[in-house]
This record gives sequence, C-alpha cells and structure tokens, in this order.
Amino acid sequence: MTKEIKKQETPKEIIFSPYTDIIEKEDGFYIVMDLPGVDKDNLDIDLKENELEIRAKINWTKPEKAKDIHVEFVPGEFRRQFTISDVVDKEKIKANLKNGVLNLFLPKAEKAKPRKIKIVAE
Amino acid sequence: MVIDLATFYDLPKQFDRIFDEFLRPSVISQKRIAYPAINIYEDEDNLYVYSELPGLDINDVELTLTDGSLILKGERKSEQGNYYRQERPTGIFQRIINLNIPIDADKIKAKMKNGLLEVILPKLDINKPKKIQIES
Repeated sequence: MTKEIKKQETPKEIIFSPYTDIIEKEDGFYIVMDLPGVDKDNLDIDLKENELEIRAKINWTKPEKAKDIHVEFVPGEFRRQFTISDVVDKEKIKANLKNGVLNLFLPKAEKAKPRKIKIVAE
Repeated sequence: MVIDLATFYDLPKQFDRIFDEFLRPSVISQKRIAYPAINIYEDEDNLYVYSELPGLDINDVELTLTDGSLILKGERKSEQGNYYRQERPTGIFQRIINLNIPIDADKIKAKMKNGLLEVILPKLDINKPKKIQIES
C-alpha cells in the first residue's frame, strides 16, 4: 500500500513594522505609513483609549508555478502601535489609504491649539 | 597586585549568550540594502518583476528596457512639516535589473496596485527549451 504523503505547509505569518513618518503641523499630527500591497478591506485601525493599533494584511501572491530568482520582500502582516497624547481630538481622527500609503490625520483638540493672547493695554 | 579572574570564569556563559543571540529568531526589521525592494520570479514563458513602491502612481514610475537590463526610476517626495519621526525613504531612486535572457520588448506589461508594481516580461520564443524528436 502506498499513500501519497503531502507535506502540510502552513505558511508562517511574518510580521513587519511598517515605515512610518510622524509629522506635526499647525492643525494636528499626520502619521504616514508605507503599506505596500495592502487593500482597504485588509486594513484594521483600532483605537483603545490612548493606544492606536494598525494591522494590515499584505494581499499579493507570487505568480503561480514561478521560480524565485531574487526575493527582497514577502507577504505577511504589518503591525504597529502608537500612543496618542491627550492633545489629540480622538473623535476627529481621519484615515485615508491610497496607493499603499496610509495617511492618518490626528487633529489637535481646540484647547491645545496655539493661541494668541490678547494684551489689553491699560 | 591581585588579578581578578572573575571574567574568565564567566567566559562559557558569555559564549552561550553570544550563541543564543545568534540563534534567536530575530525580529524582522525592514532594513534593506537597496531601495526600492525588488522581487524577480521566472516561469517558462515570462519573467516577473515586483517592486514595492508605496505612494507612487504608475505615471510617477519610469521603466526603461535597454539592451539586457530593465531600469526602474522614480521619485518619492517628502512633506513639509515638523518631523517627529522619519523612516520612509524619500528622494530619487533608480534600480537596474540585469536580464540575462532576451525579452519580447513589445509585449511587456506593467501595472500598479496598492503601491505594488508588477512588470511581466515575456521571453522571446527562441529561448524556450524545445523537445527534440529522436528517430529510431
């Protein structure tokens, strides 16, 4: 009796930390993140109290039956956490994903915006 | 003068630690030698070149096929502002991929999706292995 033995390969999920820029502008903070190969449907953004977590599954496969000649990146999952300061107005966080780049806009709360103080001369 | 040999006695332990560090599965950092990252695959009919180019549109990328190589060019612009952290590479980039087989230049296809570039380079027919009939 011969039985075909199939090698059960469960591909290990590799977790990457995506390249991220954090920029402060007058109206708020911008978190810009490189997520190449990520769809809108595979992106999860969670905000729990002050913890912002981004998880994104990379959605591409190499061509079928093709041999690897040279490999520098592989599919997996992007994951990264940020702690958000109280300065941010959490209700108004906006996210936008375009061409594999996630743009998060974290507006400053009104009370934290720079303000000019009027001086009243007597 | 007293010679302290304590560190010598610790030596095996230190070796162990060094080996442990080597063998520990390292957290994958995305440090790369070249930018942008490129994958090359091959099957019977085509060569496939994949590249990670987040934030770029297909019109921002310049692909040139010269004799024996594919050149990938483009630029990533940075935003103005007060940077707290800057990890995303910016600026002009270029990568040259050597192709050691003739390519059918008229049938090259390139597309971009979610910041991932896919170039399909069909091989010229003359390179395909042919079966030779042996007459008995």
